[in-house]
Amino acid sequence: MTKTNSDLLGGSALNSSELCTDLIEQAVKMGAKDAEVFHIKSRTLEAVFEKNDLQVPKGDNYQGLGIRVHISGAGGVKQGFAATNVLSPDSLHSTLETALAIAKASPSDPYHWIPDPQPVKSVEAIYDSTAREMTLQDVVKEGAQLVDAARGCDSRITLDSARYAVDILEKTIVNSKGIHLKEKSSVFSCIGLGFARDGDDISSFDAEVAVKCHYSEIDPAQTGIRLAEKVISALGAAAVPSFRGSIIITPYAAEELVVDPIFFACNAQNVQSGRSKWANMLGAKVLSPLISITDDPTIPGAVGSTAFDREGVPPKTLAVIEEGVLNHYFYNSYTAQKDDTASNGRASGGDDSIPGISTTNLIVAPGEVSLNDMIASCSKGLLINRFSGNVDHVSGDFSGVVKGGQYIENGKIKHPVKEVMIAGNIYDLLKQVAAVSKEYIETEDAKLPYIQIEGCSVTGR
Amino acid sequence: MLELLKTVIQNCNGYGEVRYHHRIHTAIEARNSTLTKVEHRTLSGAGVRVLVDGCWGFVSTNDVSETGLKRALFEAETAAKTGAALRKTKVNLAPAAQAQGEFIYYEQSEEPDIATKIQTVLDAEEMIRKSSALVTGSITMYTQYEDEKFIVNSHGASTHILDNKPSFHVIATVARDDQLETGLKSVGVTGSWRDLLKQSDLNTLAKEAVELAIKKLDAGYAKGGQYTVILDPALVGVLAHEAIGHTVEADFVLSGSVVQGKIEQQVASKLVTMVDDGTVNGAVGMVLVDDEGVLGQKTTIIESGILKAYLHSRESASIFQAEPRGNARAFTYLDEPLIRMTNTFVLPGEDNLDDMIEGIKDGFLLKDLGQGGQADSTAEFMFGVAEAYRITNGKLGEMVKGVTISGQAFDVLKSVDAVSADFLMEMGAGHCGKFQLAKVDSGGPYLRCKVTVGGHHD
Repeated sequence: MTKTNSDLLGGSALNSSELCTDLIEQAVKMGAKDAEVFHIKSRTLEAVFEKNDLQVPKGDNYQGLGIRVHISGAGGVKQGFAATNVLSPDSLHSTLETALAIAKASPSDPYHWIPDPQPVKSVEAIYDSTAREMTLQDVVKEGAQLVDAARGCDSRITLDSARYAVDILEKTIVNSKGIHLKEKSSVFSCIGLGFARDGDDISSFDAEVAVKCHYSEIDPAQTGIRLAEKVISALGAAAVPSFRGSIIITPYAAEELVVDPIFFACNAQNVQSGRSKWANMLGAKVLSPLISITDDPTIPGAVGSTAFDREGVPPKTLAVIEEGVLNHYFYNSYTAQKDDTASNGRASGGDDSIPGISTTNLIVAPGEVSLNDMIASCSKGLLINRFSGNVDHVSGDFSGVVKGGQYIENGKIKHPVKEVMIAGNIYDLLKQVAAVSKEYIETEDAKLPYIQIEGCSVTGR
Repeated sequence: MLELLKTVIQNCNGYGEVRYHHRIHTAIEARNSTLTKVEHRTLSGAGVRVLVDGCWGFVSTNDVSETGLKRALFEAETAAKTGAALRKTKVNLAPAAQAQGEFIYYEQSEEPDIATKIQTVLDAEEMIRKSSALVTGSITMYTQYEDEKFIVNSHGASTHILDNKPSFHVIATVARDDQLETGLKSVGVTGSWRDLLKQSDLNTLAKEAVELAIKKLDAGYAKGGQYTVILDPALVGVLAHEAIGHTVEADFVLSGSVVQGKIEQQVASKLVTMVDDGTVNGAVGMVLVDDEGVLGQKTTIIESGILKAYLHSRESASIFQAEPRGNARAFTYLDEPLIRMTNTFVLPGEDNLDDMIEGIKDGFLLKDLGQGGQADSTAEFMFGVAEAYRITNGKLGEMVKGVTISGQAFDVLKSVDAVSADFLMEMGAGHCGKFQLAKVDSGGPYLRCKVTVGGHHD
């Protein structure tokens, strides 16, 4: 599958650095005050399984870039952006012209900013050369392990789909202020989606995912077994009557119920556009003192780790929330300029979009209580394995169905639940956290414990 | 281009399909008096898929020279041969009506320049802020997919397609004390910029979004429980697409979805007839030719309450001995075709909305999708509702917020006892996600039925 796209670069042997530098020079010649080129080269090998069988082995080689230009305007800077994966000289020239045309048609904005170079320290162990050596045949074999292991657990399991993929990503960023950086990383991922069926009893749908930078850290068979255990334990679900009580949010459900709303409220773009509940709250207590959250881009071998962000700014480790107190918002260069501060390196995105904002590796600090003690403390409660619903990040109101949930009564897990809905306001509920578990689970780019919350409404039937 | 693709396919050792797809994706966004995003993206390349020894192989490449395409074909063949050893059940393809010739979905010459579009987005954003002093957040977004495709396969497809799908979103956030509420309105079409503006005046959308957000500031919460409700065309569309439509996609049926083995069985009230139809002119899910090169046709999924058909690719149609009708779709050249819906809707009936409201003692009129919507292969669903109004003793009352509805979609359809003559299909501003995105539309009449309403407990 290995191949190069060098013949696409107009027959020349330009590498990504030279290509980016050349475009920056052209942009400046054509009238740009500042310019930035973000280049991506990637290779993906993937095996897709459906209905317990191999569906298709897939391969892709991609190369593309995005050009951001700034031109002077009255009272500020005008910005334009265009991206392409057609890297012929004609196409590159027309992409640059489009970016400039967009800049000319846009109003001036005093906060547009292309950052200056800063010292950058590379992150260790985010590239595993095994990724380069693997073939489609290897990828198919790895994926088959997931399918066979899940099916081998119990004949009642249906794997709706499963995937194993290997990605190699090389990103290059060059700007007219002197930033010139490159980083190479690998990602191995496997995912299984399925359910169990025992006669007319169909479990709720569930997923199990593993995403790592290193081949040796992924065990597709274990992923399959964990999925099988989850869906089998959701068989025999029964309805429960409505109650107001305790909920325990598992790390699987916490991504959507806890991490996403907190990130939304800390995202400087939402703060500045009047959509964050936590605007003007730096230094204030926003959550229970049991909640501490760190965002750490420097963890060796972690999928969210990086030496520089989408704009070439090195991200710092941030103690975002310490014992419930809000310490930081997440900034890219634009939002930082607007708040008259420095970017903390959270610019995100690919070659085909202007920089957004994201976290790196988000860690919710584990607590001191065991999951078993948490369950034992519930007189009436619900263990939320998966949440399928909507969370209004602006207001914090959420409402949705609990999937693969377990009903707890008098400190004991009683049975899986079906057709149970939960509702409330997540920002309010996270102020009344009863306990955070010592156990935690690593997801793609987060480490999350179990969180117990009191006073949540549970609608049964 | 077609001749080049044909030359490449000639060398294929089994079934071969080459789909050159050139996309220009434009995104414009304004927030709080600032132009926050203008992106012009070109994504161009070929998806090469082969079927060799009963197994698929798929390789995508942005090198569309003859050499590049031939290399991709060779790699896809190698992938298929590798997979064939592992594949338990061999893939076969059902015969299908292969597309030939030109399919032009819109008038290209009507597109204005980027400056005009930027100004329209900025003007609508200003309209949100002007509408009320309570506005603290104003977002307007324009998204456009301009697609040119050439599809050739070894079963006779040879076609050129020009498609354009623009959409517009408006989000207004209002604040009072520490309360924040949001109103969202959107519109989308298959067609030109002018067709989009014809569908809805953007300034009207902006005003409606603000009005909705302000109404929510004063609204209370609903008490959860089982209710008789009226679903508006938008929510009927969501139910038809998310909760019913996905379960009848043949790949989900094969995985054991709830409708497996239920063809010719009663699955809904006799009042319900539901179709998927890619040929609806101007609807966002308009797909006259799918990404396997098959001509789009209307599929009647449920006819007077009886389940009649699943949605198919050529692969699944071969298993079910059915006819593929244009539901195999790929979002970009990087994606392989999957079974997807197009325009999915319930057909109108004969009832009058006022009479339908009059027949409810204690229930709700529910309008539009709020945040999110999800459903399982069991057809159990949960949708956020944007606007909910109490109905007491046949009279429409005040608005309540934070409402979600859930249930089993076929149970809901079985409980339908009234279907309005009014009909709308306008859920096409967003995307449907199933490993890849797709532009789809859905809709229907007003339906009176029973659902579980999730709300707050006293």
